[in-house]
Amino acid sequence: MKAAQAIAVRLLARWETLLVVAIVGAGIWSTTLSPFFLQRANLLDLLTPYIFIGLMAFGLAFVVIAGEIDISIVSNMAASVVCFAQLYAAGVNVWLAALIGLGVATVLGLVNGALVSLLELPSLAITLGTLAAYSGLAYVILSGEGVASFPAGYSKIGGGYIGKELPIALLVVIALALVLGLVLHATRFGRYVFTIGSNREAARFSGIPVARVRMTVFAVSGLMAGFAGVVYVGYFGSARADAGTGSLLDVVTAVVLGGVDIFGGAGSMLGVFLALILVAELRNGMQLANIQGDTQDIVIGGLLLAAIIAGNLLRAVQGGRIRVGPLRLARREVVEHEATEAIIASKLAPENLKGR
Amino acid sequence: MSPSLRGITPQTLAAAVLRLREFGILLALGAAVAFFTIRAPNFDSVGNWQGIAQNVAIVIVVGVGETLVVLTRNIDLSVGSIVGLTAYLSAATFAHYSGAPLPVVALIAVAIGLCLGLANGLLVAVAKVPAIIATLATLAIYRGIDVQITGGGNITAYELPDRFLKLASTKPAGVPTLAWVAAGVAVVGAAAVRWAPWSRDLYAIGSNPEAARFAGIPVGRRVITAFALSGALAGLGGFLWASRFPTVDAVAAKGFELDVITAVVIGGVNVFGGSGTMLGVALGALLVATIQNGFTLLRISEFWRLFFNGFAIVVAVTIDALVTRRLQEALRRRRAEALAARHLEAGA
Amino acid sequence: MSEPTATPLLELRGIAKSYGGVQALADVSFAIQPAAVHALVGENGAGKSTLVKIVTGVVHPDDGELLIDGEPTRVGDPQAAHRFGIVAMYQEPTVFPDLTVAENVFAGRHPRTGVRTVDWGAMRTEASRILNELGVDFGADTPVRGLGVADRQLLEIAKALSSSARLLIMDEPTAALSPNEVENLFATVRRLRERGVAIVFISHRLEEVSVIADTVTILRDGRHVATRPAAELAHGEIVRLMVGRSLDALFPKEEAEIGDVVFRAEGLSRGGVFSNIAFELRRGEIVGLAGFVGSGRTEVARSIFGIDPLDRGRLWIDGRPFGPRSPRAALRRGLAYLPEDRLHQGLVQPMSVAQNVSMAVLPQLTPGGLLRPRRERALARRFMEQLRIKATSPAQIVRSLSGGNQQKVVLSKWLAAEPKILILDEPTHGVDVGTKADVHRTISHLAAQGLTILLISSELLEVLGMSDRILVMREGRLVAEIGRGEATEERVIAAAAGVAEAAA
Repeated sequence: MKAAQAIAVRLLARWETLLVVAIVGAGIWSTTLSPFFLQRANLLDLLTPYIFIGLMAFGLAFVVIAGEIDISIVSNMAASVVCFAQLYAAGVNVWLAALIGLGVATVLGLVNGALVSLLELPSLAITLGTLAAYSGLAYVILSGEGVASFPAGYSKIGGGYIGKELPIALLVVIALALVLGLVLHATRFGRYVFTIGSNREAARFSGIPVARVRMTVFAVSGLMAGFAGVVYVGYFGSARADAGTGSLLDVVTAVVLGGVDIFGGAGSMLGVFLALILVAELRNGMQLANIQGDTQDIVIGGLLLAAIIAGNLLRAVQGGRIRVGPLRLARREVVEHEATEAIIASKLAPENLKGR
Repeated sequence: MSPSLRGITPQTLAAAVLRLREFGILLALGAAVAFFTIRAPNFDSVGNWQGIAQNVAIVIVVGVGETLVVLTRNIDLSVGSIVGLTAYLSAATFAHYSGAPLPVVALIAVAIGLCLGLANGLLVAVAKVPAIIATLATLAIYRGIDVQITGGGNITAYELPDRFLKLASTKPAGVPTLAWVAAGVAVVGAAAVRWAPWSRDLYAIGSNPEAARFAGIPVGRRVITAFALSGALAGLGGFLWASRFPTVDAVAAKGFELDVITAVVIGGVNVFGGSGTMLGVALGALLVATIQNGFTLLRISEFWRLFFNGFAIVVAVTIDALVTRRLQEALRRRRAEALAARHLEAGA
Repeated sequence: MSEPTATPLLELRGIAKSYGGVQALADVSFAIQPAAVHALVGENGAGKSTLVKIVTGVVHPDDGELLIDGEPTRVGDPQAAHRFGIVAMYQEPTVFPDLTVAENVFAGRHPRTGVRTVDWGAMRTEASRILNELGVDFGADTPVRGLGVADRQLLEIAKALSSSARLLIMDEPTAALSPNEVENLFATVRRLRERGVAIVFISHRLEEVSVIADTVTILRDGRHVATRPAAELAHGEIVRLMVGRSLDALFPKEEAEIGDVVFRAEGLSRGGVFSNIAFELRRGEIVGLAGFVGSGRTEVARSIFGIDPLDRGRLWIDGRPFGPRSPRAALRRGLAYLPEDRLHQGLVQPMSVAQNVSMAVLPQLTPGGLLRPRRERALARRFMEQLRIKATSPAQIVRSLSGGNQQKVVLSKWLAAEPKILILDEPTHGVDVGTKADVHRTISHLAAQGLTILLISSELLEVLGMSDRILVMREGRLVAEIGRGEATEERVIAAAAGVAEAAA
């Protein structure tokens, strides 16, 4: 009995549970907007336009859990999409071209990884640079015009159905979520990702191949951008250099809202998947309520901020110590225990909190 | 130890490297100018230079604010959206009240920018949201507000009073007014980071946040100030934007933050915080604008611009980090050797 | 000048402080007079740093009171201490590497001109004056990035001097200074004393204490032993008071059969940190590495384990050359290192006991790359039993364990790797007596089974009790090697402090 109760309490306190509640809530709201919302076909199709966002979020989750960030991921997708499209337009078999697109995306991810991990550069600045560079690359490769008219067999990947109602894209996203969830939560590599994100120093001292894992994490992020591109082309039926522009917000929101600690070391694939559903549901609902895309961004942006602030509050309540994440580009000078303690004490000093 | 050896220890070496940075940009600038003068027709003409000056002006105005933020080891991605929003609001004000005095409208734009920047600062310093995420979110939010306000419409040059448009088109002493404003902002900014006590705190915070707290610097308040000023200058930038590009809609200045950050990073402001000069930022902006102008004249696809921006950020960050590391290591060794020599001397 | 009736600047009465069951200070009472240099001596762990923290408001005493100018006062935080004129200078400097020396000195409180701008002229002049007073050879305009640890320490002193301190606490200010710089520092200290400033001087170098101090307070095991005029105390007497006890039975060293040489180091050097270190370790041997904090002990260990690069030197494990490229490479050759900083380098706090214990051996536990939680739990359980780790289950999060149990988890992590050579850096720092005994028992037992251990510790009794042989480091050099038979606390301290052996 007691054990069951404890499990129930723990389940309730989980971030994922909150997400499920929010999903149900948003569902009720959507139903009030449109009676068609609850139809099976609509529910099954809910995620379809957001699959590429989800795939990128899965990849980004690895990077963030490892304590880094990759904001170039959307540009990376655009670059791989146009490579794929150009190859296809040049007469390469569509599947082979898609495969090469995946390769390109992985290489672009590896470039980020090499700069961050081997040269010990800040991922924020580097991927901000490659965000622009990869996007520019996409435009250069496929200036202006897009490539359309992909073969129908291929487009099924993004927009096709099995039977009448089951979107193939949904199966793709679930399959990849399962695979990546397995990699993250059930393999040695995944454990290393969490360890490095929690305490890179301790990971290094424990003989974990830190540089290799960090590089791989960016490669994973690149590969997932590639998969996102494959699905994107399938869904939209065209490839353009501005593919996915503006979806960085959704990707980051899905990751952070999914409970991935923005300072690294914590997160779950299930959470990201649920957050993806929530984002899709909200966007869909706002569409029903006739709210414009850019205005929707206000809500999504607010959600992103709320998720981080909620996470911060949660950590403060749990009494975790104050952490300075890599996102702040921390470059710690050597500080002995004494000084550290004194600093923590002075941080907590009331006059410092409200300023001098 | 011989005094001559001591003469070239830390200060001269590091100072030389700092100067090297600005010198490096100047060199690159010179090379770019020389290259384009030879290759591109019309590059070295008064008209073209005035165009470059106009293009670079707003980048410098906003870049000065961004620099304050980057100095504290943070970043502000929302400046493009703030510029867009305030540009529209400025234009809309003139469209409705064509008699509105310029300074008042400029002040309104600055005040709005200040509030938006303040929100960023509070998110970062009080709510402890990492700057990159906070300003990514506000980038979307501010743009969303912009869209909401414009309602999909736009304002055209015909709706704006001449005296406002003249702000961009007149060229006192042959230099566009916008460039005069930018120069003014850069000079004030340079003076501020040199002489204002609070701005020196920004350097300290970026250099070592923990030590800054230990030294009794009100870190949170200073970070908020930096973001607020960045917002305010983006507001001013928006005002200028509307006079330079008088057809303002909801996508005005979209992606402008990348131009600004490129200028700041190329200008030698360390993304780790703690170092950078306004002169460097101005030169960085000028370099970026010159190369882009040259590209246009040479009919190189505009899309290379974006690639070039990103590539420049990566290269600048890499060089900065490597040079800093090398320098530190070299100085450490030199110092250790000097000390060892003195130990020997003292022992003998 | 200092009449006995004068009100002390600072008086401590019955100060007590404990950390999670470990009594750091108990009933400490003494007074600090203005215009005097008050030396605070004691072994590591005697309670000096806790005392400093209490005086500077970093921690608050559990019991007892502080009197400033005769008034009972609560020092709430470091800023409050500053307001009372109490300024502490820490061993590890906190500097702004991007700024110049002058700005570092005045960070957060720049001198201002009439129009409230930074008065660079005044700042430089004032900084130069202070630097001159200290007799350092770098100028006010030097960027701090280029300064080494010793220079940064001088910079800390300059910072403290620039503020109007009434009580200046200097924690090991001379650890990294050359004799010349020490001379200059002392001259400054004397000038400050003439101005009426009280100085608390913490140092392991007893000859410095005799040179500079007016009064000496000796702490031992968190208790106040004596406060006497320096003139009345000879070195030997101070050492005797610092040590003051015999080896107790806490350290049950098992006799181990000492075998062949398994590890050899020759000419290890790293610029500015340590130089020309050579030693051997044998199978089943526990070798103590003694020396004061900052003597380079930890740095040697880090370089051997592949964390910091070596400039020069060669290593052999089992007679085969070994190049320490990374911790990973070191582990593969059977070398493990338990770092001194448990929080940052040892543990991953938000992870479970099992996840921490298995961290270094995950490749062996996860064939095919798939995690086997059951194996991890089994491994953790084995060590929880062996080391008596008090945790509810292997799934318990490490953050929620006590310090002692956390340390046992770190130790388990390295023991799980089954190394041939284990370097332990302060394995019992900050843990309770029970844990200490458990750790010692385990170490001793493992050595008896043939494990080779290099034990770095600031606690002399630990080194003396556990070691078959003791190496002593001072200022980056190996200065003595003492066999178990001849090792006494006096000898080790004398070697580490660089004084002629005290007459026992």
